[in-house]
Amino acid sequence: MLVTADAGPATSVGHLWLANFRGLGEIDVELSSGLTVVQGANGQGKTSLLEAVGWVARARSFRNVTDALLVRSGATEAIVRAEVTTSGRQQLFEAEIRVSGRNRILCNRQPVTRARDLHGLLRVTVFAPDDLTLVKGGPAERRDFLDELLAMLAARYDAARSDFERVLKQRNALLRAGVREEEARFTLDVFDEQLVRAGAELTRGRLRLLERLVPAVANAYETLALDLRPITAEYVSESSPVPLAAADADTIEDQLRESLVRRRRAEIDRGLTLVGPHRDELHLMIDGLDARYQASQGEQRTLALALRLAGHVVVRELAGAAPVLLLDDVFSELDAQRAAALVRNLPTGQTLLTTAGALPRDVVAERTLVVRDGRIEAVSP
Amino acid sequence: MNVYEGVMQTLIDELGRLPGIGPKSAQRIAFYLLKVDALDAKRLAHAIEEAKDRVTWCRRCFNISEGELCAFCLDERRDDHVVCVVEEPRDIVAVERTGEFRGRYHVLQGAISPIEGVGPEQLRVKELLARIPEEEISEVILATNPNIEGEATAMYLARLLKPAGLKVTRIASGLPVGGDLEYADEVTLGRALEGRREVS
Ligand SMILES: [Zn+2]
Repeated sequence: MLVTADAGPATSVGHLWLANFRGLGEIDVELSSGLTVVQGANGQGKTSLLEAVGWVARARSFRNVTDALLVRSGATEAIVRAEVTTSGRQQLFEAEIRVSGRNRILCNRQPVTRARDLHGLLRVTVFAPDDLTLVKGGPAERRDFLDELLAMLAARYDAARSDFERVLKQRNALLRAGVREEEARFTLDVFDEQLVRAGAELTRGRLRLLERLVPAVANAYETLALDLRPITAEYVSESSPVPLAAADADTIEDQLRESLVRRRRAEIDRGLTLVGPHRDELHLMIDGLDARYQASQGEQRTLALALRLAGHVVVRELAGAAPVLLLDDVFSELDAQRAAALVRNLPTGQTLLTTAGALPRDVVAERTLVVRDGRIEAVSP
Repeated sequence: MNVYEGVMQTLIDELGRLPGIGPKSAQRIAFYLLKVDALDAKRLAHAIEEAKDRVTWCRRCFNISEGELCAFCLDERRDDHVVCVVEEPRDIVAVERTGEFRGRYHVLQGAISPIEGVGPEQLRVKELLARIPEEEISEVILATNPNIEGEATAMYLARLLKPAGLKVTRIASGLPVGGDLEYADEVTLGRALEGRREVS
């Protein structure tokens, strides 16, 4: 188990205030605790509304754009304020996102200096039109997917990930500068040990997560595709001759150490870190065939949905509260059959859904917001 | 964006170069300084000049000092055999506030950070090594910051010092992950000093 389950009601965002967030002007709206549908033509600000809610959860954009680009042009800062209910407790989140990069975040009027301190305030599951890249894209897409889930589940792994990234940067800088003298080798030894510790911690987290996630993905795929072919996954690391599993947790440090010794020459020659979880690969397989290369686009799309759904389910189980679902224009990319299957299997809990057109049948909105030109034009009921 | 002319813009530019001061704050401080009494402004200018003229590095521990040796190195009641290694002079303040430490200090004046081109040669490591036989130091407490650079520096020093038969300890991490020593609250740091462990 990653974390002890703390059973409680679902997380939700009640009141939401925004100003100058991307294309949005001033927004002051109460969201439904069930399904809120955000309607509007493209470019009017629908996605921005979801992105703002996502920002509350991670203190950054789920589209991976830098904060400066989130501030409406002409303004110096964007404001995001949200009432968040977590485990029955209502909290006020406030952020000033500044072009200068010096953001200010308050939680219950207390300053928050590190994004990590927001851990557990709000969790979100995002479905976006480009989710296909989770399956079709390179290994980095799947590593990020795992690491995002891990960060949501335990502050410890959030820390492991940022530690690892920092060690990697430092170690690469050292290798790039050249490691010829004895002195530099001694320093490299130190960064090797740090790479091993942070890298092993991150790898262990990923493997523990996969133990839970893979069965959930298989389950979700079966339900969405009505396809009985098995979904399996292999976590492949250069430091191990066979795919890794959670049972290997204790041997990962030693394997990394051995790999570093074996690859030291190559790393020094190339001035680059060649060993570590930043080069690991998660292969997803449908009936034993690598889904990245050997599945149809339809299968890939279904598998991507299954990954998101499974992530949601695992977080709900482990964190004890369902994340808020953010569905950004997902139905436009799905055929009628898959859209219907997704609607049937959508988890309960707070959901925000954007759409430019009609919704699939069976989708019943508890609240509809019409967004136009950066403002909310109409709210019903 | 140079809105103001001549000396006013120069003042704003200079203030804006200070750490933690953005363009807006620089402007606000500049206007504040214009409004205050001429004597008050002169006193500030004088304080900066005096500090620059008179404060140097302690010859022994590289803390800030007004003389050859700093107050901690001059204090005869302190234990000569234990030295606490910190990154910056301001970290001494954090350790002192705990009231748990009565030994000497050594300020590295930074931490190992290849990104910034800082290796052990750029730090006061040689000077630390020289102090050990000279002052008969038997225990070294590594109180570098609990972030990647601080940990790397501590590990580096531990590997260097251990073979010399010294007792080398690292302050236990009751400290927030990724945080800086100077932000740690006093209680946590006090406990951390009590619970220091030997490093390998
Ligand atoms: Zn001194």
